[in-house]
Amino acid sequence: MKRRTLLSAAGLSATAASLAACGSGTPGQSKDDADAAGDRTQIEFWHRTFTPFENEWYADIVKQYNDAQDTYFVTDVEVPADAWEQRVKSAQAAGTMPDVYTDPSTMDEGARLGQFLALDDLLDAEQLDDLTDQAKELVTVDGKVYGYPLLLEPQSALFWNKEMFEEAGLDPEKPPTSWDELYETCEKLLPALPDGTFALTTAGDQDTFAWATVGQQYQVSGHFPITDDWSEADTDDPKYEELLGFYKTLREKGYIPKQPLGPYVEAKAYGEKKCAMMTSGSWAFSEIASDYEELLDSTGIAPFPTSDGDLSDSVATLGNFKWVIDAKTEQPEAAADFVSWCLAGDVENLVPFFVGTQFTKAPARPSVADAVQAAPEADDAPWSAVVSEDIAPASISNPSYPWDILLAMGKALEKGMNGEDPAAALKAAGTEIQKVIDREELAGKAPQD
Amino acid sequence: MSTTVTSPPRSADGTPLRAHPPRDDRIAFLMLAPVLILLSIFVIVPTIYAIYLSFFNWSFYQDSEFVGLRNFTNALTDPEFRAAIRRGVLFVLMTLPIQLLLSFLIASFVTGVGKRLGTALKISVYIPTIISAVITSITFALIYEYSGGLLNAVVGLVGIEDQAWIGDVRLALPAIAVPAIWMGLGLMTLIMIAAMLDVPESFYEAAELEGANWWQRTLYITIPQMKNVLLYLLITGFVAAIQQYELPLVMTGGGPLDSTTLPNLFIFNHFRGDTYQGYSIAAALLLFLVLGAISALIFRVLSSEKLVD
Repeated sequence: MKRRTLLSAAGLSATAASLAACGSGTPGQSKDDADAAGDRTQIEFWHRTFTPFENEWYADIVKQYNDAQDTYFVTDVEVPADAWEQRVKSAQAAGTMPDVYTDPSTMDEGARLGQFLALDDLLDAEQLDDLTDQAKELVTVDGKVYGYPLLLEPQSALFWNKEMFEEAGLDPEKPPTSWDELYETCEKLLPALPDGTFALTTAGDQDTFAWATVGQQYQVSGHFPITDDWSEADTDDPKYEELLGFYKTLREKGYIPKQPLGPYVEAKAYGEKKCAMMTSGSWAFSEIASDYEELLDSTGIAPFPTSDGDLSDSVATLGNFKWVIDAKTEQPEAAADFVSWCLAGDVENLVPFFVGTQFTKAPARPSVADAVQAAPEADDAPWSAVVSEDIAPASISNPSYPWDILLAMGKALEKGMNGEDPAAALKAAGTEIQKVIDREELAGKAPQD
Repeated sequence: MSTTVTSPPRSADGTPLRAHPPRDDRIAFLMLAPVLILLSIFVIVPTIYAIYLSFFNWSFYQDSEFVGLRNFTNALTDPEFRAAIRRGVLFVLMTLPIQLLLSFLIASFVTGVGKRLGTALKISVYIPTIISAVITSITFALIYEYSGGLLNAVVGLVGIEDQAWIGDVRLALPAIAVPAIWMGLGLMTLIMIAAMLDVPESFYEAAELEGANWWQRTLYITIPQMKNVLLYLLITGFVAAIQQYELPLVMTGGGPLDSTTLPNLFIFNHFRGDTYQGYSIAAALLLFLVLGAISALIFRVLSSEKLVD
């Protein structure tokens, strides 16, 4: 062999060896994982990056599962939240989706497209029956269960800084319950707040309005922006105009900033005391506890005010992350065993999750809920009752119509907030919704109760 | 006068033997091969496949359904797609002329000052080019923050109230145009400096003898001599600006009210959100046609020609 050829071959071998040393040859799997897996059947599990505690819990539950049995081995992959959608789409296109992953969407579309495996034949019937009615409704499509929920969490709640309330001469234990009370509270807060601090933050862009205000849309009008049989748009309602007017007032009066201080799902602006009240999902409390611990004792959580102050109608929808099995998995038994062990098995696997997230999420199984409430830490978390007793039970389920319909209303709300004519904004939303109905031939496809 | 014609060598059956390609040709093909192979793998084959897929409702879990030209007609009749294209052209108009002008002025200045200062200027103006667009986006988002942002602190000094730089429909697109200009300035300036240094010094000496001032020298010598370079910068600048994607994605998410949803972000959002993929592919191909058509138009209007010294 010529010297040059020999050198080239040696170089290639070295490169291949170093690349091989970096991983196992299986995407997403480290060499350590490959060693630990041995000859067990291997599957992959993807979840988003959540709060630091949640990320640790996910890694830990996978490790516990791998240690608890010798048949299957799960590789845990944490995907950055902002890269999740494009990574999933790319993996779906390439046919490289993980066997199990977390999914926040309504199940209908995925079930209709055949993305998920039904769990009815893979999990024991009593495991599926162990879910609360609300949780089961979220994962059931046409009588089949397509995912197993870890939790339920209200996607809209009011958080307030009790110290700022006191400084403004407000009762720190009495949050506003109606729109009028909210206006009054903001009016009193503003003069007492330093420059650059706002009375309230809410959703501020069409994408967030789309999913975060579904409960509000329903509370003000008593219906969704599409008829019950999904045959026509139903946006022509003065009550919806009032909702658009509500956000316009908040913006025009300077109660909320003209530019969002941060994403709706994050508590950063509140944690940095740039606002006295914040609208966000109940998960924000765990972020406050994790990153802004000094605010934990002075933060209150309550249902977001309704148009008339009647809090028996919640303005929140219940969102959750379901664990689903990809329809193209080659190891459905392994995937089902993993889901079953982690979510439907021993309640002690799940209690640390709900305690660690500061009791801000409602368990999807009554047995887990009881165990969580019995945890000694629950006595130090008085807000846990607000989430599980005041907000979650009154919340409505996420509607199962397509995202584009939610988005059309989200856009109308953003237009209203920006001062555009509410009637025109809603008319445009109605036109867009009708277009989606026609395009996707939705008439008559509404799920039957 | 007689002419001798030499017939090419023939094989036994009478067909002409193919001469071996000259050695230079073989080397040229060899050197082009990596580019051609990579281009085929990453551009040509995917493009052909994309054209094929654009005629289908492509689903990842179901059999794809042939829909003919429906994805194209859906895109062409979608007011949001047309608005995204118009917004892209507006963004080009906001960024490219300013970039060209600033680059020209900086390049003129750099070529006129001493070597040490010129080098320092070149480095300073080039640094933004090597900074990641995502980092730039985050930096400018912090500058534009409504509460506690640097820009509002500065305008506050002169008594102007806080502005929603990326939250106001009227301000958001110009606000993301600023970092786009900043990022593109470095490369454009360096290319212009190279083009200016290429202009024969004797032209300027002759012009000075004739009493031409800076404006006249610029107008009648520098710009005409840089015509091809300017044409190149115009085309590449246009394509880069209309395809800008990271800045609105990171800074505004396309909002408020779609005011910063540039064409590629529009397509990307459809790719992420659509149940079927045919629409986003058709929209991408239509954007490709728009880019090609406008580039061809620029070429035609400002026809390129060889420089004659």
